[in-house]
Amino acid sequence: MNSIQKKIWGLVLIVLLIMVTTWVSLISYNQKMLDQYNGILERYLVLNEISRKSEDTVTALNNFLLLPSNDNLKAVTKNKKDIQSMKSEVATFKNVENELALTNYINLIESLEETIDSALSFHSEAETEYSMKAFNEATHISNYISEMALTLIDLELQTYDLFYRGIINQSEELKQLGTWLLLLITVGLLLFTYWFSQRITKPVEKLTLAANELSKGRFDLKVEVNSSDEIAFLAKTFDRMRLNINNLISDIHHNAQLENELQQNRLLLKESQLRNLQSQINPHFLFNTLNTLSKKAYMEGSEETSDLLVSVAGLLRYNLKHLDKPMTLYDEVYVMQQYIDIQKTRYTDRLNFYMEIDESCLSIKIPGLTLQPLVENAVIYAVEPNEEGGTIWFRIKDEGDLVTIEVEDNGPGMTEEKIQEILEEKVNTANGHSSGIGLSNVMKRLRLFNGMEDVMKIESTLGVSTKVSIKLLKERRGEK
Amino acid sequence: MRSIIKFLSVITCIILFYYTVDSAVEVFDTNWQLPEASTEELTDKRIILITQELDTPFWDQVSFGARQQAKRDGARLEIWGSYGNNQEDFLKQIEIAIYSQVDGIIVQGLDTEEFKELTKVKASSYGVPVITIANDVSMAESLRRTYVGSDQLLAGKMIAEQLVEDMGKSGKVALMLDERQEYYQTQRLEGIKEYLYNYQDIELLEAETEDTREQVIATTKDLLNRSPDVDAFITLNAKFADNLVEEIDRRSNAETYHIYSFDDDPTSLSLLKQGKIDGMIEQSPSKMGSLSVEFMMKWLNKEVLPLNLDGYFTDIRMVKQVDLK
Repeated sequence: MNSIQKKIWGLVLIVLLIMVTTWVSLISYNQKMLDQYNGILERYLVLNEISRKSEDTVTALNNFLLLPSNDNLKAVTKNKKDIQSMKSEVATFKNVENELALTNYINLIESLEETIDSALSFHSEAETEYSMKAFNEATHISNYISEMALTLIDLELQTYDLFYRGIINQSEELKQLGTWLLLLITVGLLLFTYWFSQRITKPVEKLTLAANELSKGRFDLKVEVNSSDEIAFLAKTFDRMRLNINNLISDIHHNAQLENELQQNRLLLKESQLRNLQSQINPHFLFNTLNTLSKKAYMEGSEETSDLLVSVAGLLRYNLKHLDKPMTLYDEVYVMQQYIDIQKTRYTDRLNFYMEIDESCLSIKIPGLTLQPLVENAVIYAVEPNEEGGTIWFRIKDEGDLVTIEVEDNGPGMTEEKIQEILEEKVNTANGHSSGIGLSNVMKRLRLFNGMEDVMKIESTLGVSTKVSIKLLKERRGEK
Repeated sequence: MRSIIKFLSVITCIILFYYTVDSAVEVFDTNWQLPEASTEELTDKRIILITQELDTPFWDQVSFGARQQAKRDGARLEIWGSYGNNQEDFLKQIEIAIYSQVDGIIVQGLDTEEFKELTKVKASSYGVPVITIANDVSMAESLRRTYVGSDQLLAGKMIAEQLVEDMGKSGKVALMLDERQEYYQTQRLEGIKEYLYNYQDIELLEAETEDTREQVIATTKDLLNRSPDVDAFITLNAKFADNLVEEIDRRSNAETYHIYSFDDDPTSLSLLKQGKIDGMIEQSPSKMGSLSVEFMMKWLNKEVLPLNLDGYFTDIRMVKQVDLK
């Protein structure tokens, strides 16, 4: 992941490459030109030098002829040697154009040498006249050499005319090239830099935009960056972060909703409890009123009414208090007794009630208000419609681990369908008496209480009798 | 908008790139026409043709012929010389050529002591062969190898013959001579005299003059004053013809005189066309040039040894007015 660095390096390298190429080519070109210039200048210098040297040689020869000393002779030979070395140098200047002139020139120099030699040899042989003649000749030749040099230079100028003009033109073109190159590099670099910086800043811009959106709380926009550098990596990470945050937020939303619902439920619960409590207030007021009525009746001497009212109050209290709790069989029987007492007051002799109770069974648990409805049922169906009244038998029997409670009456009985309806809990309680707590209600509660289905048995003979028996477990299964 | 900017910048880049490459190519394509370097020893024969009269039509033709021949023979020929009969410069050129130890010198003969001294002593001491061209000098005095050019003796005879034909067998003839007679002029004179020897009735008047306009005019005046009854003029140096005709025209009509000239230089030719002069000798300068180079090469290559000392004559032809019409 060094892509941005790579890009910057790339830019710098390209710029460097252009600069180096330009520099190197210009320098090499310059060098080439300079070499040419130097070559030309060198030719002129050498030609000029030879002319001067030949004159010097002649002068030295003159001096020697006038004053033949060793020094002067040395001067002559030295100059001659110089000329010789320069002659070989001149030979290298040869080209197709000046070949002939240069050959002539070199020959001229050779002639000079020869003439000087002959002058020296004539001198040594004391042939003064010949030596002077040779000297004169040498003077001539020296002049000719100078002239020839001029001719050569002239020729050189002619030959190199195009070349010189070429150089002049080229330096003009070089200037042009410089201008174009500068323009090209400037424009190119500007465009390239623009493009290049775009490549770096575009993703950053996108990222910034995305970050802005994110900070505003929009988590649903995808962060997209199409590049292959660190920015893309950053963008990917950023996108992942956005997704995570998005998920977290939706989680929080969900939780909040749940919390809300829970709160509502709690409120509802409290409300119902409150209602429940409130509902208990009225009955208490009722009891108190009943108790007051009872006392009033007692004080007025109506003891029987007073007892009745007490029974009613007890029944009512029990009813309200213990509907939802299991009670002992003893309590149940007591409440049932009170109920019978009340009914006896109503039906007097029409109601015959017999109890056969196994005392040992009175301590077992039984759902509250189980017996009263059974008895009430018997009273309603067997006693009430019959003018001569009816008889109700109430039995509690110990049958091993079960306790069977039987309520038998001698009423009109009920059909088999009716029995089935009751046992299968299909009875619509609308037809039922009292607070709608009928047989089926009892059965339901018993089934729940005992944890078994077989809790109730109804045996009936139409017009003769009805016997409802319920079974209670001594040990409750659920409590073990 | 964006795409327009993009398009424009791409176009700009392309244009700039094109011009940059174009000028770079121009700069680096060093089309410097440097002469080819030549390292080898020059083995071709170096021949120098030296004349006193550079850039005259006659010598231009000679040069042309010589160059062509040199090309054919593979010789290196250079034309040196002086302008307008500058003898000093001319002699210097010869001297330089000798000192330059060229292989051969073809030179317009000059009948002076210095010239002969140069060709006889210097050239032979450096072993440079000399061939005279167009104008000869005597072989004995110059030690030239040969002569290539017109036969001046014959030319003189031809002129004389034409004169007799035109004028008749008697009359007065004025001969315009150079004060300092060159070898070729004496030969021409000799030719004329030789031919006219048989015609004793023809009287010859020799008038010597310097080669300047004033002098020629003065001499002509003098001649006409002294001998007004002259019938014909022969200019042994063609350069006189112009001034001669001019002076005669001033007095009377040149067409009434028989005037003859050597050399077919442009002035003579135009005078002939105008009918001012009656005839002239036409030489073959181009042929002279080519022949001289050819013989020089033959000499240098030792193909023809020795060369004909009398010389090799090129064609001459009498041109008369009627020929032009």
